[in-house]
Amino acid sequence: MDLSSLSSDFISVLLFAFRIAVPILCAVVACRCFTSMRLGKRREEPVVVLEDMATHKVIPVLYWENSLGRSRSCDVVLQDPTASRAHAVLMRRESGWLITDTNSKAGTFVNGKKVKEKAPVLPGDVIAMGSTALMLKRTSEVAALPPQPPTRRAAPPSGLMATVMLTQILLGLQLCLASGKISAAPLVPLGILMLVEWALYLYSIKILHHVSFELETIAFLLCGIGLAMQAGTNLKNTYTQLAAIVIGVLFFRFMIWFLGDMDRVMRWRVKIGILAVLLFAANLLLARERNGARNWIVLGPVTVQPSEFIKIAFIIVGTSTLDRLQTYKNLTGFIGFSAICMGALFFMRDFGSACIFFVTFLIIAFMRSGSVRTISLACAVAGFGAFLILKIKPYVAQRFDVWRHVWEHPGDAGYQQVRVLSYAASGGLFGVGLGKGCLKSVFASTSDLAFGMLCEEMGLVLAVTVILILAFLALYARSDATRSRSTLYSISACAAGGLLLFQACLNVFGATDVLPMTGVTLPFVSLGGSSMVAVWGLLAFIKASDERTYAARRRRR
Amino acid sequence: MRTTGTRSLILFILVLGFFTGLGVFLYGLVTEGGSWAVQPFNGHLYGSGTSAAEGRVLDRNDTVLAQTKDGKRVYNSDPATRRAMLHAVGDTRGYLSAGVQYNYRSELTGYNFITGLFSPTGKTNGSDIRLTLDSSLCRLAREKLNGRHGAAAVYNYKTGELLCMVSTPDFDPQNPPKDLDTDKTGKYSGAYLNKILSSSFTPGSIFKVVTSAAAIENIPDLDSRTWNCNGSVTVNGNKITDMYAYGRLSFKNALAKSSNVAFAQIAIEVGADKMQAEANQMGFNRTFLLDGIPSGKSVYSVKSAKPNELGWSGVGQYTDLANPYHMLVLMGAVANGGTPVTPYMIKSVTPSIGVPSEQGSAKTGSQLVRPDTASRLKDYMRYNVSHEYGDSLFPGLAVCAKTGTAEVGGGKNPTCWMVGFSSNDSTPLAFVTLVEDSSTGSVASAGRIASALMTAAAKIS
Repeated sequence: MDLSSLSSDFISVLLFAFRIAVPILCAVVACRCFTSMRLGKRREEPVVVLEDMATHKVIPVLYWENSLGRSRSCDVVLQDPTASRAHAVLMRRESGWLITDTNSKAGTFVNGKKVKEKAPVLPGDVIAMGSTALMLKRTSEVAALPPQPPTRRAAPPSGLMATVMLTQILLGLQLCLASGKISAAPLVPLGILMLVEWALYLYSIKILHHVSFELETIAFLLCGIGLAMQAGTNLKNTYTQLAAIVIGVLFFRFMIWFLGDMDRVMRWRVKIGILAVLLFAANLLLARERNGARNWIVLGPVTVQPSEFIKIAFIIVGTSTLDRLQTYKNLTGFIGFSAICMGALFFMRDFGSACIFFVTFLIIAFMRSGSVRTISLACAVAGFGAFLILKIKPYVAQRFDVWRHVWEHPGDAGYQQVRVLSYAASGGLFGVGLGKGCLKSVFASTSDLAFGMLCEEMGLVLAVTVILILAFLALYARSDATRSRSTLYSISACAAGGLLLFQACLNVFGATDVLPMTGVTLPFVSLGGSSMVAVWGLLAFIKASDERTYAARRRRR
Repeated sequence: MRTTGTRSLILFILVLGFFTGLGVFLYGLVTEGGSWAVQPFNGHLYGSGTSAAEGRVLDRNDTVLAQTKDGKRVYNSDPATRRAMLHAVGDTRGYLSAGVQYNYRSELTGYNFITGLFSPTGKTNGSDIRLTLDSSLCRLAREKLNGRHGAAAVYNYKTGELLCMVSTPDFDPQNPPKDLDTDKTGKYSGAYLNKILSSSFTPGSIFKVVTSAAAIENIPDLDSRTWNCNGSVTVNGNKITDMYAYGRLSFKNALAKSSNVAFAQIAIEVGADKMQAEANQMGFNRTFLLDGIPSGKSVYSVKSAKPNELGWSGVGQYTDLANPYHMLVLMGAVANGGTPVTPYMIKSVTPSIGVPSEQGSAKTGSQLVRPDTASRLKDYMRYNVSHEYGDSLFPGLAVCAKTGTAEVGGGKNPTCWMVGFSSNDSTPLAFVTLVEDSSTGSVASAGRIASALMTAAAKIS
């Protein structure tokens, strides 16, 4: 159908109105999701209590994993010189409460029996550490503590999903009218995305009886924006992207299942680490150079970027349950593994990913050890390494030469950045319209320069909303750290949240010349198969750290 | 678990970094978004099927100097006009940073922070810019420069309207020559510069206007004094020379003959401090604005000059530099009783919808010369023309002027200047002309150009 019968001015104004509506809807969805996640969070109230048999003092047990010991940093501090600094860990697992002795001098006893590795603790059992004896009690048995108020339920997620669908419909309509003629082709991928969304929703809520769907909602919101951007640039890429999203969602569900059993995760840790190293080795052997980096492996019809998946392996290798943290304080193994990963990335000339791994390493290392010294040392070593590389390989330095001087090199080294800045400004607050941008003809526009594309075609407001959502994701992962079922989840969620945010920073600030250009993807938005699957995997870490994720299973019993 | 929770605060460092970066980007976008957007490579401006198109640039007679047609920037159909207006209008690639198209790109494109370059109604937001310049006068100036490197400008010192501003070498903005950036022969050297606004040259004898002002204010019996000008004078072992031995000269004749011997001694007599103060008062060592576009600086600095150097500085050599736009404003000041009317070239900015804004008007600048000094300078400069250069150059215009022939060294011929103004109320025009590497004297080179321009300009106003 030709639009000449309709006023093109009217269409133009209508599309502009859509572009104002989309970021508002996105902001509403994001706000409601994050509020809902905050409301759905358990309050910091005792799960059980410990009663000191000598003084009859009641000690609340607040977390799923609690360290017991003389050290002031323990969750339950023992005023007992005969107890070790980190004496034992009291953990809640599927089977009930367990206690693990963490290499204490005096040993831990349950009802007089010495604990070897782990021992179950039932209400009424007495735990003896040094000269202290504590009895595990239900909170209801202690009169001094008020009864727990019923847990507040999160807002029904179907309304939020409907809003996400509405933004996708608005984006789809913009695409349909973009060329001046009505074309339904861009509606197909967006329609399939909506089906995937609702399929996952029904599976999670109706079949698995999960109570929360906020993280998935947010991820789908971002994916929809990314997909619309692809559709405006190259409709063919949309299907690649869609396939990646579907695989990503399946991988997400797999990761949730995999992370459900902590013992399984801890068992697989070493194997996954070895697999990651082998994958890097394979990459170095098989990959051919593409755009200055050797980070692709061609497997028949698909190309895979192994480093994206190694991010997930990296977090699994890095994270740990509290009892293991207390027993094996040494970081050497993880540092060695990190060094191999980053070394391999440098050989691949994938400096952006190397930076991402380094920041993730810092987050994990600090959360495990709390040692500022380790972090400083790691930074110093990395700084020295970077200095050496700049000295030995001057072409690396060239990438940094142009940093903050892109306007002096609009035709060569600053080509991409000046165009991002120019077109981002051209878009104003609400963009020039999907598919109507000029940045799309620049190399890597829908991946490395995705932020510029968002600014130009959909406007600054939406682009900033997208990256703020990623920042809030990291903040959410952090705020949930003590509510997780284990430090395994807290550390991995913080690492994943930090990784996603840092990757977004490198993408956004690299393209806009705030930081040197590195060429990484914008999570959930950029074109990229491996990277899309990987970010869904990373989201699973954050999802797993929410204790409601695995709550439904208990209810079913 | 609690410890892990506390340690997770490390993520706040990352979040803080994120917000800092976002702040840097947004600050840049707010303050510089206009210049980011308006880049020559921007497809929304110059590509096909774009959402915004630039407004037109017109001269005072509504001659179209530049406009956008079918997504392309199109300049005036006459190549000579295009080249004469190049430095005022600017080029498409934005290399001429003192041009209107570069400095007023936000107005021309209609860029704003809210909608960027996009217009929801699909119509262009770009404004038309009307200049005070006369393209035929500019073409005449370019013609008279006749391939020599130099510059010329004329402005109405009562209304402030800039009528002519030309700089050579130039190039055709419609078809930039292929060897523009690669040429080694020097035929395009300085083509990207608007020499009136952005360059500074050794002033030579035109600086004697400044030395004269200092003399007027510091030597009470100036008109009864005489100087023995017998070809040269030696100041602490260094010879300051004249072209001829003029004999004994009064002040008035020393200026008309432009005797270095006399003016070097005057500068030394006035002293470094007072010379410096006079030059600073008259606008040296600072920037002037033309519609917000900053000029280059004229330089006068004798803080650490030896007496012979002070002498040379008084005749416009030593380290002296003069910016032509500043010289034009200074002439306007002398003509106008000491306080200039600031020149402008943007007559109006007319948006696609609505009334013209930013209507240019006569605005008084700060005083550069004391009123009584200005009046005496005017008399001396009038005498220069009537008794030395010849009124036949400017028939009926009662022009007051000063020439200069500045030695530049490096095997090059001198830079020839003429600065001045018509003292007639009906033709309130001030001018500056200069020819670089001139093989003829200043009257024969710069003087001839000034003569042609003033005669033609007198018919406009």
